[in-house]
Amino acid sequence: MDIELIHRPGNTAAKVKLQQGETCTAESGAMIAMSGNMDVTTTTHKKKSGGVLKALKRMVAGESLFLNHFEPKSGDGEVWFGANLAGDMMTYNLDNESLIVQGGSFMACEDSVEIDLGWQGFKSFLSGESVFWVNLKGKGQVLLNSFGAIYPVEVDGEYIVDSGHIVAFNETLDFSITKAGKSWLHSFLGGEGLVCKFQGKGTVWCQSHNPGSFGWTLSPGLKPRKA
Amino acid sequence: MNTSAYQVRVTGELNPGVSRESAVEAFSKLFKVANEKAENIFSKAPVVVKKGVDEATANKIQRALDNIGVQSAVEMATAEQVPQAQAQNEQKSEQSTNGSTLERAIERASNAPLKQEVHATSRLVEEQPGYQFKIEGQPDYAFLTVNIPAEKTLRVEASAMATMDTNLVMKTKAKGGLGRLLTSESIFINEFTSQNGPGEIGIAPASPGDLAHVYLRDETIFLQNSAFVASDMNVVVETKWQGLTKGFFSGESLFLIRCSGNGDLWFNTYGGMIMLDVDGDYVVDTSNIVAFTEGLDYKITKVGGYKSLFFSGEGFVCRFSGKGKVWIQTRSVQAFASWMYPYRPVKKKG
Repeated sequence: MDIELIHRPGNTAAKVKLQQGETCTAESGAMIAMSGNMDVTTTTHKKKSGGVLKALKRMVAGESLFLNHFEPKSGDGEVWFGANLAGDMMTYNLDNESLIVQGGSFMACEDSVEIDLGWQGFKSFLSGESVFWVNLKGKGQVLLNSFGAIYPVEVDGEYIVDSGHIVAFNETLDFSITKAGKSWLHSFLGGEGLVCKFQGKGTVWCQSHNPGSFGWTLSPGLKPRKA
Repeated sequence: MNTSAYQVRVTGELNPGVSRESAVEAFSKLFKVANEKAENIFSKAPVVVKKGVDEATANKIQRALDNIGVQSAVEMATAEQVPQAQAQNEQKSEQSTNGSTLERAIERASNAPLKQEVHATSRLVEEQPGYQFKIEGQPDYAFLTVNIPAEKTLRVEASAMATMDTNLVMKTKAKGGLGRLLTSESIFINEFTSQNGPGEIGIAPASPGDLAHVYLRDETIFLQNSAFVASDMNVVVETKWQGLTKGFFSGESLFLIRCSGNGDLWFNTYGGMIMLDVDGDYVVDTSNIVAFTEGLDYKITKVGGYKSLFFSGEGFVCRFSGKGKVWIQTRSVQAFASWMYPYRPVKKKG
């Protein structure tokens, strides 16, 4: 699997080249184009494993319930992936480790990577942003997308990131939900609400913009919908 | 004989008793340009201030210049300086080097012309046969500036005009009839004609993204939905019924815009633009198609089995077969709009 990112950073699309026999698993709806020999199967889980329960968990995560598997039938093939929102993408090479990815940032990964819902407990629920996380485990390449630019933050000790700005982080980091200000009232009025506090040693990838904030900025200009 | 082969050159000399300051000021008033620009012309003189006009117009301009004390010369333009995009002159102008700068040539090279066979090896000096133009702000916020030669007309998508010279006259035409309405493209197309000399128009597409230019030579390109930006008048722009199944299931418009003939054509994307050379089979999500060349066969299909149809999130896709080019965009307006849906305020009852 060979990933090439083009039109970075604003209008990034990923071109994934697959050799015969290789399979790429992607979030549903991410494909924008592909060569004609590509075989697509849709499952609720990783191929040949998992079940409906895992799929349901993934749906709650803000990821769609279904995953698409791309496999070239004869010879090599290529698939293009694009996100809904403007922004950058990044690739990460998992080497028998775990990466926790924020619900909407997962785009695609190699077949050898295990996709699981990393339930972070009740504390995630309180963060008010994306409640669930996708846990990518194993060995292989991973493709993530962001809203805006991606910048890595090396954490050694403690670091605080607004939960809407997290793209992914190493599992070696422990995280807890905390308030941004000194008092709860100030945190609430400051619009920061709850933030994620990371502890340990590892990398957090952040996105420059928060999709939720952008959405609510647009809100007053949009036509009301029926309840 | 070409009637617009004359040009007016400011020699830089002034009539006796005329100061440079007053000449610059009068000049900027006459040609409606900024003082700095007029100053620039005088410091760089001799400079051609008007070209591509007929003899009478050239003489008129010379008289006007003489009135404000600026000396000028009317001369015949050489073949290189004849404005292009004149159908009968096409062959000649193709080889012309009208003010060709390296910058523009590089720009063109990145613009992926439809056919490269003519000067494939020397594209850096190849002159674009149509109108002179430049595209700035690529790839994220492409903006098009076209120089319309005197008495020539450019067809522009309604409300896409951002800036223009004052000598451009706009006419609104309900082009393409009812079909345009159905493509969700505005039913009106504006036509900008440059009178009394060449004019410049700045065109900004509605969605942020990239712009592509192709010069059609008896060719046909199909554009999706809202991709049309501008075209030469010799390009026939019409809507094409895709057939009930093709249009209906694509979730897009029922119509494509068919552009055929000879001349310039510009189209835009939402997000980045990718050009694919198709030889054989290629599948594109219906909402990511921007344009494709005629000769490619296309049909709307599902990506996998019926399970994929409903659950893959891809819905219907377009399968192209044959040999040709397909332009796709990295973002989709529909996908963005549906992302926005939860943020729409909820209507209050009563």
